[in-house]
Amino acid sequence: MTTVVADRLVVSGVCKRYRHATVLDRVNLSVAGGEVVALTGENGAGKSTLMRICAGLLRADAGRIEVADAVGYCPQTPGLFGLLTADEHLVMFGRGVGLSRSAALRRGHALLDEFGFPVGSDVVTSEMSGGTRQKLNLAIALLADPGLLLLDEPYQGFDRGTYVNFWDHCRTWSAAGKAVVVVTHMLAELGRADRIVELPSHPALEH
Amino acid sequence: MIESLHRMMIMAEMHGRDLIRRHVAIGLLVALPASFYLSSIGEGRDAVGFGGVAMAFAVGGATVFSALSSSEVDQRLVMGGYRPMELLIGRLLFLCPFGIVISGLFTALMAPISHPHNPGVLLLGVSAVAAVAVAFGIAVAAIVPRELEATLVLIGVVGVQLAVSHTSTIAKVLPFYGPRLLIEDGVTGRGAIALPLLEGAAYGVALLVLSRLAIGPRLSIRTHRRRPPAEVVSVPTQPFPSEPSRSLSN
Repeated sequence: MTTVVADRLVVSGVCKRYRHATVLDRVNLSVAGGEVVALTGENGAGKSTLMRICAGLLRADAGRIEVADAVGYCPQTPGLFGLLTADEHLVMFGRGVGLSRSAALRRGHALLDEFGFPVGSDVVTSEMSGGTRQKLNLAIALLADPGLLLLDEPYQGFDRGTYVNFWDHCRTWSAAGKAVVVVTHMLAELGRADRIVELPSHPALEH
Repeated sequence: MIESLHRMMIMAEMHGRDLIRRHVAIGLLVALPASFYLSSIGEGRDAVGFGGVAMAFAVGGATVFSALSSSEVDQRLVMGGYRPMELLIGRLLFLCPFGIVISGLFTALMAPISHPHNPGVLLLGVSAVAAVAVAFGIAVAAIVPRELEATLVLIGVVGVQLAVSHTSTIAKVLPFYGPRLLIEDGVTGRGAIALPLLEGAAYGVALLVLSRLAIGPRLSIRTHRRRPPAEVVSVPTQPFPSEPSRSLSN
């Protein structure tokens, strides 16, 4: 017997089909608190689909998902209002999790500051660079201090330094007991994950 | 309840900030019905009806684009604690007063030129057009969630409402029939106010109910089964049974 932190996410036999194409076929995955898992696979292997199913945004055709904590989901493309500033997004998403305006800004600024985001800037998101927008996207996912982080290629647009820092942050979050799942294609940094899970490709999707 | 109200107010505020920064769109919101009115001014008092109903193009169009441009954010907001109904009401809380303000400005333009018999009822009619247009825009965006298709539906319905006589059967089943009657009543000073007002309100409520039903499945979040909250557990030392085949390393 050994003592480990309990699983924060357990995926059992999850299947998903789009029309006639099987995207996920009886996928199993478990992620413990304090663990960083890199989810890899070819294009169309179903990485983003699995993330969306785990986040509750998509229904699986079969299988079961169990979570032990609040889920923070960072989508591949930031779902943000083009003409709102970072602070306005923090206030809006913060209110959803019960944070007052000042608490949302305080927590959001601390997160953005960690990522090197120009805090307090009144630039609207449509005028931000892709990497800057993605930092805000990541901060929103972390705003409620979730125990399970589902990050779908969250580093898109990051420069090299920010990208390396991102993996440092993953270690910090896992050290705080969070379970972190990162969808990634970047093979160079895979060694920084505790575990690599590769989703198999499906012949039905290859043309 | 208070928390829900806060969330709705925040959504109204953010929709307001987002729309107010679209300066060209705001200009067109006023210019579009005004151009309909001014270009048909030779038609006499019918111009007021054209301009008034054309308000539906502007307000309905703004609503459709507001709803569709935030569709990606909406599901994330629901995941982040908002209820779909709060998003819907939050949008209404900004768009309805905003449409009514535009209606007031537009009525202020028409009244000195066309000399309606009852400017107050005219304002009521144009405001009713704006309010129903908000509900109609939300419903169109919910049922036809693509910008081009939604815009074509909006143009089609408002265009038919403008083209057909208000005595025709088709006009009576379209959403802006009641508000259009109110505008006519404001111009001529004849006709009942309560019935067309009630018709417009009923149509607006029906459209909002339809919208809520349509967006429900799209915004629904699947709540997963909760695992026990224990932080630390003791387990036998062995890999997760079905995972090694999928793992590159462990």
